[in-house]
Amino acid sequence: MNEKEANIDLLFRNGLKDFEVIPPPGVWDGIHSAIKIKSRQFIYLRTAAVITVLLALSFLTYRWSRQISVVQPASEISLNVPDYSPVFSKQGNRQQITAEKKSAPVKNNPGILAETFPTTDNAMEGEVSASTDQILKIQETKDLNLTKNDFIRRPKPFPVITPERNSYNSKYSELQYLPENIAVKPQKRWSIAAMASPTYYSNFNTGNDAFSKQLSSAEQPLMSYSGGLAFSYKISKRFSIQSGLYYSSLGQKVDGITSFDGFQKYETSKGGPNFEVLTTNGTIYTSNPNVFLASVGSDRVVTTYTKDVFDPKKASLQPISNSLDQNFSYLELPLIVRYKIVDKAIGINLIGGVSYNFLVNNSVYTTSEDGTRYSIGKTDGLNPLTLSSSLGMGMEYNFTGKLSLNLEPTFRYYLNPFSSTSGSYIHPYSFGIFSGISYKF
Amino acid sequence: MSDTKKIIKGCLAGNRRDQELLYRRHAAKLYAVCLQYSGNDEEARDILQEGFIKIFENLGHYKHEGSFEGWMRRITVNTALEKFRSRHNLYRVDDIDTIKEPDAEPDNHDYAGLEANDLLTIIRELPSKYRMVFNLYALEGYSHKEISKMVNISEGTSKSNLSRARVILQRRVGSYTGIKKKVVNE
Repeated sequence: MNEKEANIDLLFRNGLKDFEVIPPPGVWDGIHSAIKIKSRQFIYLRTAAVITVLLALSFLTYRWSRQISVVQPASEISLNVPDYSPVFSKQGNRQQITAEKKSAPVKNNPGILAETFPTTDNAMEGEVSASTDQILKIQETKDLNLTKNDFIRRPKPFPVITPERNSYNSKYSELQYLPENIAVKPQKRWSIAAMASPTYYSNFNTGNDAFSKQLSSAEQPLMSYSGGLAFSYKISKRFSIQSGLYYSSLGQKVDGITSFDGFQKYETSKGGPNFEVLTTNGTIYTSNPNVFLASVGSDRVVTTYTKDVFDPKKASLQPISNSLDQNFSYLELPLIVRYKIVDKAIGINLIGGVSYNFLVNNSVYTTSEDGTRYSIGKTDGLNPLTLSSSLGMGMEYNFTGKLSLNLEPTFRYYLNPFSSTSGSYIHPYSFGIFSGISYKF
Repeated sequence: MSDTKKIIKGCLAGNRRDQELLYRRHAAKLYAVCLQYSGNDEEARDILQEGFIKIFENLGHYKHEGSFEGWMRRITVNTALEKFRSRHNLYRVDDIDTIKEPDAEPDNHDYAGLEANDLLTIIRELPSKYRMVFNLYALEGYSHKEISKMVNISEGTSKSNLSRARVILQRRVGSYTGIKKKVVNE
């Protein structure tokens, strides 16, 4: 019985194995619209996460840099602490100022009336130091009858040395004796810059698919441009971080596609795209019913209106052009680190960082000889968010204390592909020489 | 990188062309599975659609171990199972345990000439409870213990349903081959 029952199992198992039934039309549309909504939700979430992380990083960096700026003056004082502390000694009627090692117990040395000056001042931890000339002046006010000839050794500049300083005012009054070149100026840490550049755009095709290579052979980069506002914050003498908002437009020309005007009265597929054009950046789906497309020397145009079905010349359609222009625009949110190699009137910076690029415009068009632009449709499958890395060398000419001219040759490489058609993964890159003006505050 | 891997990578990157390619390659086979598990075309269509949405959502979890087609089939069968459970979640179908199993007729039929289309028609005529157990046991290879958990019935009910399904199928196959032979002879 079991064996016989198993026979019926085998009959169905073997009979239905590899059986196929074509599903009804419309199922794919339902699936695609459902996954598109879900992926869009995911993109919004991811974008929100990226913005949150960037804001958090900016805030932390700001806090960190604030802490550095508070701690910095004390460290400057410690750097200015001289190895030697001056010792005033009286020998008979003459006074001598000698420099002794701080560790030397001068005060306790009998026979020498010594006065050791503190190297730091707890009451006032300012960036104050004085040269020997100031010591002389101070001592003259104390009626010590010192002359320059009384010096045995001239120590290097060291912090202000007045033992009788008891209040801030008295200390402050002594600051007038400080040389001008050590006066503390407030540092301008922030700067805002407006930059723009024409960019050369091209791409690396990492796929090994022969068809994708054939596609890319008929595609030429279009002249692109990029520009925007950048804010930077100086976190140390050499390092600064930069963010901002840039707009960039790039694209490519797809040759070998003939376009004709006046197709609307012949087209029968109401609503859907009449033509699909395969490109390395994704498939273009047409949305303009008035435009007819045909490929020349390739099969990159997919349509039901093949040559045997419709001939544009017989229908006397008006030729427009022999190529299509694909254009993509991005809003870019960069996070750049700058390292100042040369800090002179003409400064040189090394620039590196990443940028999150949000797709804001995706258009395909063709332009007739008289300059009329015909919108064709959109490129499908473009990644709405891409990540690019950039590396550059910045030259900065400070023509006033606050304003400077900038010139920054920058190479940018897109880490994730614009789109990933099967068999080809296109990683675009661009090179531009950004120029602009920056203002420090 | 294999073609399937490239397509999966493209799907994960949100590429519509790869998503459509994946669907076109496997939809027909999976739709046949959906038809085996459903009594009507509308239900089969729903299973296919929901199954594919789950496939796309879970593509990132596919480890490229074992057959990709088998992985997709399991998702489709699970989707059919969920639909079945949602229809039969009001009660546990253990009452069938008490029904005496019918005697199976000797399996002396000549099954020659039956095509996959005929088999599909026969299997879809089964009552849904019998069809589900028969499919899971005979076509997918699950044990009665596993089926009892999947369908929320006892092991005894699973065995009983399988037995009933086989009897019905044997009769239907017999009558089908008889009709076919008659048609051919005429």
